Amino acid sequence: MAEPFRFYECVSIVRMTGRWAGDIVDFLEILRQISRQSIFHHMHQYFLKPHVRPPEYPNDFAVWAADALEEKILAERLANLNPFEFTNIEEIRTELVRIITDYLKEYPPPRPVIEGKEFFFNEGITLVIPTGLEASNLKEFRCALKEVDASSIYFHFYEARLRLGKEQDDFSRFFSDCLSAECPGLADKIRSLDPYMYTAEVLKSKIEALVAGECR
Amino acid sequence: MILDDYRGIADQGELRAIEHLAGALRGRRFIHVNSTATGGGVAELLQRMIPLMKSLGIDAKWKVMKGTKQFFEVTKRIHNSLQGREGPPTKKMWDIYESVNRRNAERLDLDADCVFIHDPQPALLVEKKKRGIWVWRCHIDISRPNRVTWYLLKDLVQQYDAAIFSVARFAQSLPLAQFMIPPSIDPLSEKNIDLTEEEVNAVFERFDIPMDKPVLLQVSRFDPFKDPLGVIDAFKLVRKYHPCRLVLAGGTATDDPEGARVLDEVREKAEGDPDIHILLLPPFSDREINALQRGATIVLQKSTREGFGLVVAEALWKKKPVIAGDVGGIPLQVIDGVTGYLVHSVEGTAFRVRQLLQNPHKARILGEAGREHIRRNFLITGHIRNYLALWRAMEDKDSDLIYV
Repeated sequence: MAEPFRFYECVSIVRMTGRWAGDIVDFLEILRQISRQSIFHHMHQYFLKPHVRPPEYPNDFAVWAADALEEKILAERLANLNPFEFTNIEEIRTELVRIITDYLKEYPPPRPVIEGKEFFFNEGITLVIPTGLEASNLKEFRCALKEVDASSIYFHFYEARLRLGKEQDDFSRFFSDCLSAECPGLADKIRSLDPYMYTAEVLKSKIEALVAGECR
Repeated sequence: MILDDYRGIADQGELRAIEHLAGALRGRRFIHVNSTATGGGVAELLQRMIPLMKSLGIDAKWKVMKGTKQFFEVTKRIHNSLQGREGPPTKKMWDIYESVNRRNAERLDLDADCVFIHDPQPALLVEKKKRGIWVWRCHIDISRPNRVTWYLLKDLVQQYDAAIFSVARFAQSLPLAQFMIPPSIDPLSEKNIDLTEEEVNAVFERFDIPMDKPVLLQVSRFDPFKDPLGVIDAFKLVRKYHPCRLVLAGGTATDDPEGARVLDEVREKAEGDPDIHILLLPPFSDREINALQRGATIVLQKSTREGFGLVVAEALWKKKPVIAGDVGGIPLQVIDGVTGYLVHSVEGTAFRVRQLLQNPHKARILGEAGREHIRRNFLITGHIRNYLALWRAMEDKDSDLIYV
């Protein structure tokens, strides 16, 4: 009998590095040296944070480029970076640096931001909380998924992939490893979701719909 | 007051996380120290937070340092100086600061697993640290401090294990862990609990404020950083177009001797204007403030410097559109055009007030979004969760992924 799926939720607290940038060159310098945790945090906090209206772009770097630097082209290029195409944070850092460096070669450097709009580099510390909810079959999985909050999706999807270095999210791995006979296509369907297009709340409802579809 | 009271208000996951974290810290001692038992956001928060933590099985205690009038004048100077508005305290002032702190260090039992020292007033108590995790919880805006004052205070702050700021831009270059945790409001406190229309009307009647015109309200201490004089200027610009009233309601805290001077200036500027109502509220006026906020049409918080500005969260929780200065923690609460408007001038304040008085539908949409934004991000439950998470994280300092 395979191990049941154990649902975790998480709490993230923000640790500040004390480093900040008021123009693009300082930003780039810090980006090259800042911790991996900081890059992960700024690429992902959008997904965990509850929003009444989500920011226009799903990572802090793109939002800053748009709102503070007012460089829309740079913002769009940064927003289009999909972290799921990379297997570790260093690769993401390299890509961020490449995008900004190319931009600086192509366009005049943006003016420094006005006071109060500087970019502050933070890091996230994640505390993982067991929910006590487990699933050994699709029906149990569906019930537990309804119970957990969006932080569970964040942990099993985003944290699992990039921070814990797993090759795929925990949900599709469970369906392919343990429930492939019961629901053969579900792992692929979940894998085909583009998590960087949704907040964790929306992604949760998408996964719920896919699981409910299999239960019919 | 127990966690169950918040079911149906806070999200279930948030409550689950609190229970789990509290379970891991059950029976351990958690001490908070600040400088005033009444008045000001810190005291309000601790009054609510300590009983809740106790109900979770944590041995939580709140201790208030004792200070003299002279001491609070010094700490007001330190406070203003850290906010960049005054020069550093003199040698004599630092001597007073140190001696009062040392007397308190002798008086207070601060033996605990985790100690939170709130703001600069009791910061020197860290000299008494023997064991446990000591955290300096800074509630004020120190993004542009007087450099000498900060340099001197930094000597103390560096002795802590961690510091907490309300907003990222308040972080400093320090050789210790710095965290960002916003403060919160308690939806079940006297200040925020639902009131009947009759009670709201009765409070307006008691303060002799007719509800015959839209009411603009600013609730804050009479402090120059809250710019009450600018609020009166903005009100006068609005009144050229819309009949309305302005209510400026504030109290004074025992550690705020400057308040009386500012109040005099405000009274002078408003003299003879029957549409401007200045209310000096005594401590424990929470229910009255609640009613004033609920009866207001638009809430203002025209601060020029701000720690966090919890009064904004209170108003948003009551579904009021808020027009507020783009400083400190206000932009975390007022999402421009979504939960209210951020303004940078007297004219900007007047313009946004006119817009909302002209368009009550828009005002209602902003207010609804405001309540949800506060519910998800700035309630006491989330705040407790973050404090417990930080305490737990500090016990496992080298890890950034901690299984509880």
